[in-house]
Amino acid sequence: MRTVEELIELANTHLGTALAATDAEAELTELAEWDSVHLLRLVALLEQELGRPVAVDAVLRARSLRDIWAVAVGT
Amino acid sequence: MAGTPSTYLLGTGTALPGEPVGNDRLSHRLGIPSAWVETFIGTRTRHFAVDLDTGRARWTLEDLCTDAADRALADAGAEPSEIGFIVLATATPDALMPTNAALLADRLGIEGAAAYQLQSGCGGAVQAFAVARAMLSAGESALGLVVGGDVCSKHLDLAQDFRELPPGALVNYVLFGDGAGAAVVSGTPRPGTRAVLTHLEHRLAGPGLPPGQRVEWFGAADLRAGGLPRPAVTEDYKAVEQRVPVLARELRDTLLTASGWRPESVDYLLPPQLSGRMTERITSELGQGFEWEAVSCVAETGNNGNALVFLQLDRLLPRLTPAQRALTLAVESSKWIRAGFTVEAPREAPDA
Repeated sequence: MRTVEELIELANTHLGTALAATDAEAELTELAEWDSVHLLRLVALLEQELGRPVAVDAVLRARSLRDIWAVAVGT
Repeated sequence: MAGTPSTYLLGTGTALPGEPVGNDRLSHRLGIPSAWVETFIGTRTRHFAVDLDTGRARWTLEDLCTDAADRALADAGAEPSEIGFIVLATATPDALMPTNAALLADRLGIEGAAAYQLQSGCGGAVQAFAVARAMLSAGESALGLVVGGDVCSKHLDLAQDFRELPPGALVNYVLFGDGAGAAVVSGTPRPGTRAVLTHLEHRLAGPGLPPGQRVEWFGAADLRAGGLPRPAVTEDYKAVEQRVPVLARELRDTLLTASGWRPESVDYLLPPQLSGRMTERITSELGQGFEWEAVSCVAETGNNGNALVFLQLDRLLPRLTPAQRALTLAVESSKWIRAGFTVEAPREAPDA
């Protein structure tokens, strides 16, 4: 997973969301169709995709999809 | 349905199966990160009738209701032979027939009683008290037994990969728990009366709205047709999050008006029990500006549906001093029911 756009595509494919690439920087609380259950499922998807655990505590502090991507890829 | 007559609460009892199951244990078993549960659900522990390691059911709803009823009878200083009727509320009966109400009568050795069972959720305890109140005011019995319980772990499929669950089914894995509660009630004051239920209200409050929660049942034909046709339990958690605070506020105001209580005269609030986090939020909203002490259980017991109000009453009664007042508010999201009552301690210290 090299870009946040790939993360957004992963979410749209598996979570039924319709997120746009421009949503990467938006506050998660401002994304109309995003909620805590999507976050939980995204963590599981990322772990599956990356083949390793993702730091859940850090993901929970994320404020945007880009933050989540950064935690997931360890940057 | 509101107003008098009063129902006298003589004793309560509860039953929670086994040891509390913490979020780490749940996380280990189901793969749902405990940090997520703590942050978004806020429920710290729950009890399960099922053995999480083997998947074997250790207690039935009948077992839990029997334990709770035994304790309520002991608390009330009443004998099973004095009980004229049972009203039991549940969404997860052991079987559709015979009813758990009838089986409970047998287990307690109550003969010739009337036994009613309500198919209900979080509003069930209040509905059961409403039926009991009607029975008592009809003068058919001196004492009744009101019971509520759920074994939600019936729906906890331990082989399920949570990543494959739709969000509306997934949340149930972390919200719910098992348990039962019971109360012995009388239509007239008796020595040892612990509290009095004065105004009671329950009504449908979501005309035309889709259900907030749906629990299926499956018969042999459904299963033969190729497995479970749809998730057994689904919850529109976004609708729950939006509507429950509104309905709880309406119910609070309705009960205060019906009872004529000034908000300042209320000592305790028994708020709706959804998840630890949501209950925290609703409690602070409902009690804003008042010095109401909240009596909640969901963060420790999980949401065990029909048992919740009994678990709260069980926690309230030892704290009540003469003439203290409490508001009990419950909201059932199935087809949107708001249900609650006012409770008052007798003016004089109760007889031992």
